[in-house]
Amino acid sequence: MSEELQLKIEEFLLKNGSKGKVSELVPLTGGASAETWSFTFSNKNKSERMILRRGSGKKSPLAVLKSEEAVIQQKVKSSGAPVPTIVAISSGDKDLGDAYLMRLIPGESIARKILRDKKFSEARQKLAFQCGEALAKIHSVNLNDFDQVPKKPIREELKRLYLTYRSFEQPLPVFEYAFKWLDKQDFTTRNDALVHGDFRLGNLMIDESGLAAVIDWEMVSIGNPMLDIGWMCINSWRFGQSEKVVGGFGDLEEFLQGYSSISDEKIDPEEVKIWQVLGTLRWGVICLIQVYSHLNGDVNSLEKAAIGRRVSETEIDLVDLLFLGGK
Amino acid sequence: MIFDRPTSAELVEAVSEFLEKEIKTTLPNHLAFKTQIAINVLNIVKREQENKELLTKESKEILLTLLSNPEEANINQLAAQIASGKLDLEDKKLQKALIEITKKKISVDNPKYSTYKKLIK
Repeated sequence: MSEELQLKIEEFLLKNGSKGKVSELVPLTGGASAETWSFTFSNKNKSERMILRRGSGKKSPLAVLKSEEAVIQQKVKSSGAPVPTIVAISSGDKDLGDAYLMRLIPGESIARKILRDKKFSEARQKLAFQCGEALAKIHSVNLNDFDQVPKKPIREELKRLYLTYRSFEQPLPVFEYAFKWLDKQDFTTRNDALVHGDFRLGNLMIDESGLAAVIDWEMVSIGNPMLDIGWMCINSWRFGQSEKVVGGFGDLEEFLQGYSSISDEKIDPEEVKIWQVLGTLRWGVICLIQVYSHLNGDVNSLEKAAIGRRVSETEIDLVDLLFLGGK
Repeated sequence: MIFDRPTSAELVEAVSEFLEKEIKTTLPNHLAFKTQIAINVLNIVKREQENKELLTKESKEILLTLLSNPEEANINQLAAQIASGKLDLEDKKLQKALIEITKKKISVDNPKYSTYKKLIK
């Protein structure tokens, strides 16, 4: 399998003007919807590590195609946000299928290491500000360049999440409450922007000086930019370090300072709270989707079964945010 | 109950400890990780077996403060009445009920969860 893939990558790179050898091809654990490989590409002049991201090629309502993801990353790069350099894009059934190659950004993406290892202690100090800056850059790109990105107005997204939750026929009073509460909020205060959709530790490459790259763009959409802000601030993505609101490493104030160093948009912590409720609920529904893919027999997996009992984590976070002054 | 000891909770606990002490340590990382998930799942079953009667009874009492018909005092009805608007979102009794019932659920699912630990302090 990997030998065949090795030859295919070499052929594809040759077609794109780079003659050389592929070696050390290894699979990396990645998202469920895509496979990720790393390899070394070398020729007479140089040798470098690259990443192959390859999807099934099927259109999904949740994720954009890999080839689209790559084009979006290329365009975002010109905004100055840290994004890996795309080397070549493959689409359709030919070459590598729906896939792209990019330069490997050295660094760490595993949240627990970033939050606990000593070598990232300096990075952790700066990270909240840097994440704010990076998001503001992403949110300020000119939307005329991104016609192919799916539009996801937040009211429609909430409706879609609600219908998904209801389809499992497992009534959850806290979710009903949160959906009703969100119905009453005002979402008209922001203009549409490019939204990463899954901006959190796990999808950020971190090195010793901080944020090196924003990766995993498959949930990208055009919608309300506050989605990214709230998502980064939910307890589900603090990996146990719950006193640090931003990703388990930073304070909201630094994060918003980073944001406003680039963007003119003023963000109030009370507004962030609305989006923390929304983000927590969104994560809760994603947990339900995963557990029901196991219960319905589509994918039989212990991890997916276990995640069903993590829905109550999102419920306790919701009641904490809504009624008990949680942050 | 016609069954003898060990109780189901005690049986599950024995398997969980076996996995923890004798199996997990012999496995490569990715399988040790999955085994930890299996242990966590068994511990949920154990806590549920030990506490479900009490937690269900206490939850029923809370539900009865909001839904007066005893036959309708269940989670599904609570969800339905919030969805239909019959229960007002500002109702403090409703908010209290959601907090208390959720605490009972997570005390079984994951009592080490940060928000739960903070709230029971």
